[in-house]
Amino acid sequence: MESLPRGRHGLTREYIAQHQRERILIAIAELLHDHGYDRTTVAAIAGGAGVSKSDFYAHFASKDECFGAAYDAAFERVELTILSACAAESRWPDCVCAGIGALLTALADTPAQASLLLVEGLRAGPDVYGRYQAAIERFVPCLRDGAPRGRDGRRPPQATDEAVVGGIASLLGRRVLAGDAPRLTRFFPEVAEFALTPYLGVAEARRIISAR
Amino acid sequence: MPPRGKGGTQETRAPKGSPSIRPTLPREFIALHKQRRIMDALAELTAEQGYEATKISDIVKRAGVARKTLYDNFEGKEEVFLAAFDAARDEILRRVREGSADPDADWQERIEGGLAAFLGFIAEQPTLARMCMIEALSATPETSRRYEEAYETLVELTRRGLPQDERLPGTIAETLVGGVAWIVYQQIRRGEAERAEDLLPELTEFMVAPYVGAGMA
Repeated sequence: MESLPRGRHGLTREYIAQHQRERILIAIAELLHDHGYDRTTVAAIAGGAGVSKSDFYAHFASKDECFGAAYDAAFERVELTILSACAAESRWPDCVCAGIGALLTALADTPAQASLLLVEGLRAGPDVYGRYQAAIERFVPCLRDGAPRGRDGRRPPQATDEAVVGGIASLLGRRVLAGDAPRLTRFFPEVAEFALTPYLGVAEARRIISAR
Repeated sequence: MPPRGKGGTQETRAPKGSPSIRPTLPREFIALHKQRRIMDALAELTAEQGYEATKISDIVKRAGVARKTLYDNFEGKEEVFLAAFDAARDEILRRVREGSADPDADWQERIEGGLAAFLGFIAEQPTLARMCMIEALSATPETSRRYEEAYETLVELTRRGLPQDERLPGTIAETLVGGVAWIVYQQIRRGEAERAEDLLPELTEFMVAPYVGAGMA
């Protein structure tokens, strides 16, 4: 496929290159999910994507670079889904619930990418850890900025915002590791309650979640 | 089993090939001491340069033992890691159990006590903390399995420590431990494990506050 001459199908070189790149990123996520990092070779990734090894190296210098790019692409996709779900809501608690719902659906729909984001993120070494951390940090302000002050007029300590997001990521990562990725959406009420309770108290959090 | 040493004495000679400078130390003592040094060396090297980059030759050099001594005591690098991990895990769990065991304390105080014991270990043993909480996750499939096992034990201890209320979500203990682990993990990554105890007030509030005043405390 990669050797199709430009003139006959009218596809630009850029289009083909971009398309190949996406196929490679999908292939590496699936191979990592099925076989783990060590057994995911460049040859296997190229084979899975239907490109040659030299095409692979035209896009990425190494398996690690490809891994990082796949992580970024998977996160971008999930983040976009979450942000669009949030944008449809106007109140903070609804926005948090919509974001969590969208996150769980996106992860359940693509278990290989869920595993890449949540399981490999903490387990694949320092480069990927940096990405995992950055991904978690992206959601901390979403939680913090809109959150109302507590019953006594003060905000929970800053560690709470991070611990809430990190705790949810950890819970979901362990469920994905146990093979439960396709069933993640069933955790919606618990995850939403966990996210809202530090800010609203249990009773109010439950009222909002059950009203949805 | 042939009698050890001469004339039925409990003391044994130094192993063949090593200078017999301390003939009064029992062989078991020396062996344990050497095992300990090997495990400590691996923990230090792993914290400094990662598990992957740590070679057997680095370990024996750091521990000041012969290569053969390492292989007499361990099958290889992974077994040294697992032995060091198990020892540190046992110590962490012992302290957390002890810290949260006060029968006169209420559940919040017991949670705080367990958390304080955990953070105390991290602050006291930054090298082991890094090995257990960071390197174990990615070193080998078996180290990662043991990490998950130890994590599960902490989740279970937390579950038993929280108020027994069926309205609490079934995953609450797991998510709380995940949140604490994440904050501590970052603290270690930043090279600030020694100050882990500073996190106690905020993490206690994170674990306890949501359930106070909601009919659950």
